[in-house]
Amino acid sequence: MQLPEAVPVDAGAASRHPFSGSSQRGLPGIRLLGTMALLSAKRAGMSSPIHSLLPAPRSRLRRLLADLPLSIAVSAVLAAFIGLVSGHFLENLVVSILIGIVAFTIVDGGRLLWWDRPGWSAREWAPLLALTVAAAPVAHFTGLRVGGMLLGIATPTLAEYPTPARMSMVLFTMLGTTMMVVLVRYRDRVRRIEEEHAAARLRAEIIERQALQAQLRLLQAQIEPHMLFNTLANLQGLIAIDPDRAGEMLDQLIQYLRATLSVSRTESTTLEQEFAAMDAYLGLMGVRMGERLTHRLDLPPELKTARLPTMLLQPLVENAIVHGLEPKVDGGEVVVRASVAGDSLVIEVCDTGLGLRQLVGQVHGRRGDGVGVSTTRERLVALYGERATISLTPVHPQGTLARLTLPLETA
Amino acid sequence: MTRALIAEDEPILAATLAKTLQGLWPELEIVGTAPNGLAAVQQALALRPDVLFLDIRMPGQTGLEAAEELAERWEGPQPFPHIVFVTAFDDYAVEAFERAAVDYVLKPVSAGRLGKTVERLRALVDARHAPAGSVADAESLGQLLGQLQALLPAAAATGRLTTLRAAVGNVVRMIPVADVVFFQAVDKYVNVATADSEALIRVPLKDLLPHLDPDRFRQVSRSMVVNMACVISAGRDEMGKVTLNLRGRADKPRVSPVYAHLFRQM
Repeated sequence: MQLPEAVPVDAGAASRHPFSGSSQRGLPGIRLLGTMALLSAKRAGMSSPIHSLLPAPRSRLRRLLADLPLSIAVSAVLAAFIGLVSGHFLENLVVSILIGIVAFTIVDGGRLLWWDRPGWSAREWAPLLALTVAAAPVAHFTGLRVGGMLLGIATPTLAEYPTPARMSMVLFTMLGTTMMVVLVRYRDRVRRIEEEHAAARLRAEIIERQALQAQLRLLQAQIEPHMLFNTLANLQGLIAIDPDRAGEMLDQLIQYLRATLSVSRTESTTLEQEFAAMDAYLGLMGVRMGERLTHRLDLPPELKTARLPTMLLQPLVENAIVHGLEPKVDGGEVVVRASVAGDSLVIEVCDTGLGLRQLVGQVHGRRGDGVGVSTTRERLVALYGERATISLTPVHPQGTLARLTLPLETA
Repeated sequence: MTRALIAEDEPILAATLAKTLQGLWPELEIVGTAPNGLAAVQQALALRPDVLFLDIRMPGQTGLEAAEELAERWEGPQPFPHIVFVTAFDDYAVEAFERAAVDYVLKPVSAGRLGKTVERLRALVDARHAPAGSVADAESLGQLLGQLQALLPAAAATGRLTTLRAAVGNVVRMIPVADVVFFQAVDKYVNVATADSEALIRVPLKDLLPHLDPDRFRQVSRSMVVNMACVISAGRDEMGKVTLNLRGRADKPRVSPVYAHLFRQM
């Protein structure tokens, strides 16, 4: 065979014929593209789509407001304690709550603004305690003044404020504030752990669901309903006409289904398995197409254990049949062979079908197998980068040669 | 005796359909099976069956195209055959068939479903013994095909052509598409005719069609696409055949019954 230079493949070219191929079915190109998108998402860590599905973290202001009732409760308890000692129950309660609110807003606000992280060490505790110490006199003074205004009691000015009794109350405020902060921080930690658990559960669920969808798409991509129903129709016919051949065909169908279903669950397979699946597929197509299809598989024994991503050959072999030989009146032959070139594995799918066709006018077009080839190419790029290639070349006198080159990996 | 032709590229399916039909309709004579869309037309023209089972996906041409070609080439006193399309489960065309009320059976063929089709076909064949025009039959088929063609998604056009490049000797002539009166398929070439010239381009008509403005250029037969702005009149002879008068051209292209509805009075 004479092989002219490679032709650039136009991925977007659509089949021109209403019934010529899978790319014309309900969802053009979705089946393999979907798989690809998922595969690459997996490689990228899948982080962004999942993050968007998790609940958004609560804002700091909302967290501050949510913790405020706790501080009021603590203040009320302290006020009750002071009230027991000194009387003036109502006054003490109001002033104490006001002091508590101010102190808490300053200290917890500072914590949320500057030290809002899960793990705490001395580096976080020390400035927080300093803030508490600094906030206590401010809170006490402010609380006293505002409380006095509300209750109509005379309150000390800043000049007459410092007395030993008030200083002890400031100290008491410090203790109360510290207590509140410790409580709030503890509550925060518990809540954070709960949230993380829930998020982890949700994330696991999402990943599982996505993996399941990916697997479903892989399955759909491999077993095209049209192919399956046509095969079943043939089987149905053979049962009445030639039961022995029906049995053979059923064996091939089972082998094909088993091969494709089992490889779908793993990310890579061996050449031996892939060739077995292709043999079964071509065998089934051979029964359907009768004398119009012959096929040959050439796998050197030393390459049987070579590894390759699953489903890499399938679209190429399917293309050779669906776009090359099935629409050709006389049919022809498909040859699939593997070889080694340097440290690369070379797999060729060669058919004598209708071949590459040029579209009208300007652009290089494909006869409709752009989807299969372009998804295979995208996959190769995602998996191997520059180290893998795929090319399509016309074959003389008629036909197409698809050549895959990828790094040789033997188990 | 009713005669049937089966066009199906998968030999086992053809044999199965024949066998099932024999069981359901013993008086039916299967006169042949055609392995592709081209042979389907040849054999139908040669064997003149009453019923034609046409697989949709066939090499050569699809069942729809075969029906279209047959409608165009069918002549003579025999009525046009009843066509039953055979299609695989997931062909989206099924919905189109339902809407267009075209007879079809699904693969794998169930005897029950095929039995209903056979009943309907028997009634139709019986009704035919009363005299009826074959052209009318072809026309009704033509309308159905027209509906189908409208329902099936057209090939994605990758851009409209505005100028054609046609090699004439050593010169490449640039022909504005707007000047073209008609395109005529000649083997693998297309003859581009303007009011004062003709040139061949090496593009199948089928591939050219998606690149033309569908409002301006209409297919009038399998081999002819006409610039509607250049149609002066359409004449109908006593056989019901429609021919066109074109501006600036002496040719009088014939309109296929499939497309005759384009030139019916309003």
